[in-house]
Amino acid sequence: MNRKLPLFRRAFLDPWRSTLGWAGGLAAAIALYLPLFPSIGGSSQMQGMINALPPEMTKALNYDQIATGTGYTQATVFGLIGFLLMTIATVSWGAAAVAGDEESGQLELTLAHGVTRIQVALERALAMALRVVLLAVLVHVLILTLNESAQLKINPQNLFGATVMFAGLALLSGTGALFAGALTGRKAYGLAVGAAIGVLGYVFNAVGRQSPDLNWLLNLSPYHWAYGNSPVTNGADWAAAGWLWGISAGLVLLSAVALQRRDVGA
Amino acid sequence: MKQAIVVEGLRKQFGRREVLHGIDFSVEPGSVFGVIGPNGAGKTTTMRCLLDIIRPSGGHVQVLGEDPRHAGPELRRRIGYLPGELFLEQRITGRRLLDHYAAISGPVKPGRIDELAERLDLDLDRHTRKLSKGNKQKLGLVQAFMHSPELLVLDEPTSGLDPLVQQEFLAMVREVRNNGQTVFLSSHVLSEVQQAADEVAILRDGKIVTVATVDALRETALRHLRLTASGITADDAGALLSRVPGVGALEVLEVGDGVEVSAVLEGGIQPLIQALSMLELKDLVLEEPDLEESVLKLYGMPGNGKRNGAGRKPLEALKGAGDE
Repeated sequence: MNRKLPLFRRAFLDPWRSTLGWAGGLAAAIALYLPLFPSIGGSSQMQGMINALPPEMTKALNYDQIATGTGYTQATVFGLIGFLLMTIATVSWGAAAVAGDEESGQLELTLAHGVTRIQVALERALAMALRVVLLAVLVHVLILTLNESAQLKINPQNLFGATVMFAGLALLSGTGALFAGALTGRKAYGLAVGAAIGVLGYVFNAVGRQSPDLNWLLNLSPYHWAYGNSPVTNGADWAAAGWLWGISAGLVLLSAVALQRRDVGA
Repeated sequence: MKQAIVVEGLRKQFGRREVLHGIDFSVEPGSVFGVIGPNGAGKTTTMRCLLDIIRPSGGHVQVLGEDPRHAGPELRRRIGYLPGELFLEQRITGRRLLDHYAAISGPVKPGRIDELAERLDLDLDRHTRKLSKGNKQKLGLVQAFMHSPELLVLDEPTSGLDPLVQQEFLAMVREVRNNGQTVFLSSHVLSEVQQAADEVAILRDGKIVTVATVDALRETALRHLRLTASGITADDAGALLSRVPGVGALEVLEVGDGVEVSAVLEGGIQPLIQALSMLELKDLVLEEPDLEESVLKLYGMPGNGKRNGAGRKPLEALKGAGDE
């Protein structure tokens, strides 16, 4: 009966439908975007259209390198649709892990059993991280599979680095949501903080790139830490990866401490 | 043997609002202790303090000889807990959910889950979120009882259960008590716990009004009486009934050629029956003793009917709160 990590197993295995759903969404987005590269991103016509756009807009959307396969993959999958889907997923998981469970009255019953609160926070964070890794692996494998046929010319090593960044960026929003939820017990606060990390990171990156005067905004943008050097083209900035994953780990520990210190369900 | 639960001066504040104003009680091992009180009296808060789900603002709590704040998961393995509001919204079967709780709780004897489910007539292979309120409650009870904990903390255990299952639940409580396990349960009405409990604490607005044995409470019990009789005038009926010892709050209405009477009765019913035998009764309702109301009236509490001038048993009839 006493199998290892019962809380983790439950948090990881029970929502398999949700994991599968997000995997399907990511796979569909990748399968829709990447095969179009030869006819859209790679054509001179497209480059002409991009050139006709206001440069501010091109920068904001990271479309400045869209004419190359790596730039196209960076801008569309990692930078936009994949980022969006993954962030929504992790924010909802992070907010649900403690605060959502608490609001629905189920955390109380779990805590009444032979578990510690630290264990609850850590095992559930681990489940979230593993689900993120699982989705990131799927993204990596799908892009590799399409690399040839879509003429993307991505170096697999750089793709790996970009995927690590992609997962780390999404996880940061998720652990932010987890922490705010564990601190307050309110799912709405968790969702708000997680979404804010994602959205503000994106906005700071878009605005910060507009002029040297605003460059300082880039330092505040996890999105820019992850993607500032276009990892699909240039490989990951591993120090930045360390920051993303390290801050996430820190937020998980803070979540455990926050949950440990307060009343539950009050 | 040490007491199963000792609570001394327990206070709890949420923000500036204090919901427990220093309560004291203790529960003997192997006994059934009920706490009753209206909604918002602090029953759930008290129970959550026993399980370290919320932390006291002041006072001492000892559960099975340990401080729940610091004893950690090992103590909670020895407790079975049923929360007051049970939400089981997962898309998993009752059996899998119970397996999960078994994995994070004390060991469960093989076959114990099925045995309990059968007694309560619960289908373990249905998804929990499709269960009715009563069936969820049964699942919660199985979860609390399955690892045969030394202490059961049950918050409103009978809510949502139909009368047959309630009887089965009471039988389960008696069984675990005979096993030497301790039960601490709550309800908002005393009639639900009086059959099961040895001792009852009455909690109101975050304070314990009294701790008494059920027998002691019964001595002070009030019963409501209603009757219609024919062939008698209101004056005669009033005179007849007011002579019966223990009758109070007498109201007699003349209706047609008879009367409608309502009253409360305290103490034995034999004198009343003798008096009633002289009447031509058309209808008679003598309710079960309302122990709760009698206790609240005894203490002059507002909110449950008007105070009644009739003499009451002295406070000494009840065991005082926090006797040590």
